[in-house]
Amino acid sequence: MINTLLLQAPAETTRYLVAGYTVIFGIMFLYIISLIVRTRNLKRQLELLKELDLE
Amino acid sequence: MEPISQAEKQLTRKSSAPGFGQFIRAVSAIIWKDLAAELRSRELLSAMLVFALLVILIFNFALELDASTRAAVTAGVLWVTFAFAGTLGLNRSMAMEKDRGCLDGLLLAPVDRSAIYFGKAVGNLIFMLIVEAIVLPVYSVLYSVNLFNPGLLLVILLGSIGYVAVGTLLSSMAVQTRTRDVLLPVLLFPLVIPILIAAVKGSTGFLQGVDSVDIRPWINLLLVYDVIFIAASFMVFDYIVEE
Amino acid sequence: MESKPRMLVILDVITSLLFLTAVGMVFFYAPLEAVMGQVQRVFYFHVANAWVGMLGFMVAAISGIAYLRKGDRKWDIVGLSAIEISFVFFFTAIVSGSIWARGSWGTWWTWDPRLTTAAICELVYAAYFLLRQGIEDPDRRARFGAVYAILSFISVPLTFISIRIFRTIHPVIIGAGGSGAEGSFDMSPRMLHTFIFSLITFSIIFADLLWHRIRLGKLAEEAENLRLKTLQ
Repeated sequence: MINTLLLQAPAETTRYLVAGYTVIFGIMFLYIISLIVRTRNLKRQLELLKELDLE
Repeated sequence: MEPISQAEKQLTRKSSAPGFGQFIRAVSAIIWKDLAAELRSRELLSAMLVFALLVILIFNFALELDASTRAAVTAGVLWVTFAFAGTLGLNRSMAMEKDRGCLDGLLLAPVDRSAIYFGKAVGNLIFMLIVEAIVLPVYSVLYSVNLFNPGLLLVILLGSIGYVAVGTLLSSMAVQTRTRDVLLPVLLFPLVIPILIAAVKGSTGFLQGVDSVDIRPWINLLLVYDVIFIAASFMVFDYIVEE
Repeated sequence: MESKPRMLVILDVITSLLFLTAVGMVFFYAPLEAVMGQVQRVFYFHVANAWVGMLGFMVAAISGIAYLRKGDRKWDIVGLSAIEISFVFFFTAIVSGSIWARGSWGTWWTWDPRLTTAAICELVYAAYFLLRQGIEDPDRRARFGAVYAILSFISVPLTFISIRIFRTIHPVIIGAGGSGAEGSFDMSPRMLHTFIFSLITFSIIFADLLWHRIRLGKLAEEAENLRLKTLQ
């Protein structure tokens, strides 16, 4: 019991953990979204261009 | 147009000397062309020089260069000055080439492309060294610091070589883009950070009489950088000037 | 270039599973660090992100060499994709590293070699994008991009070494925490497992994203070609 009393508890840093992973997941998520959006836009553009081309 | 047509004549002269001799001749022709042109107009050197001296002056007000901080900060101030003045020189040197159509002329000559690279690089190095040779005494006088230290001069030489090796290559690229002048520092500075760090630490070391054992790593780093980047630039230059 | 190839769908699934497992390991399997507390868990994905950043840079440099030699535009797309992904992941690494530093040592930034080199890499990427932006001709854009990717990749180890030597000779303590203290905790076996698993997972994530981004690049090229053709 004396041992556990002498051991210092680890620092209370949970909020930094949350901040850190919010950033990590957030940026990854945003990037994947950007890839999806850009792909969709390009596909739409291509359809339009193909139509114009056929005229 | 005199020096340029002379250079072109030298390049196209047939010779029985082996390829290497022709290479050297091409390189020196290009260097001579740049030097001769500069001798007459002096636009490059004067711009670099005035700029460098202005930067030194600004530093006097920007940083408190009193006696004690001076020793620690001299190398840094000098190298920032050289880096910025160097950029100016690199930009102008390549821009003149492109604008006067010299680059196209040189490319048409039957000579190895890398001769153009070496010629320009050595030319740029000479200009940079001239500016440094003037800035050093001026700084010495303004701040009562003795800068005539052979070790320091060695570091400045090695650093300038590396800077110019990469700078000449990148300025050849930058001059062919829309954003030109603005782009060169953006491209160049991240790549020359090892030179700046090693040169500043090495310079400070020599100025403060630090043990040569501690300065060794910096000199080695400069040498390694120079060798690697001269080789890399040499190998890659062809791809930048092909049409 | 229409529907997703089978391999990619499978890769997507594998990537997602690996990712979920890694997250699970980080939060539940890895033990609590004795000194730093919970924030230490950021370390696993922070390093994994940086690792992907370096991977991307390497892929870009190799693609650069391939493009210069072969002239096939697909290598340019690979290079651009790799650098874009690397840019995003390095950014994540830098920010998460900053948060970790703040949580562990009370300082938002340490000038230690790894973080500083990552920041310099970000600037290199910015320069790369600016370079490409200033060029109209696609072939020249690809060539110059390749050259810059190669040269800047060569400079990174030299930059890292020079900062390293700089720090050992002049360890400057900035703020309450010491710099260079990064990674100064002992890794227990479970931590090691989580760490290595994270690295592997993120390597797969990189491959997956790279494939997707390359497909996007090919679409863009197709659109560009068609645009030039129809809007003559």
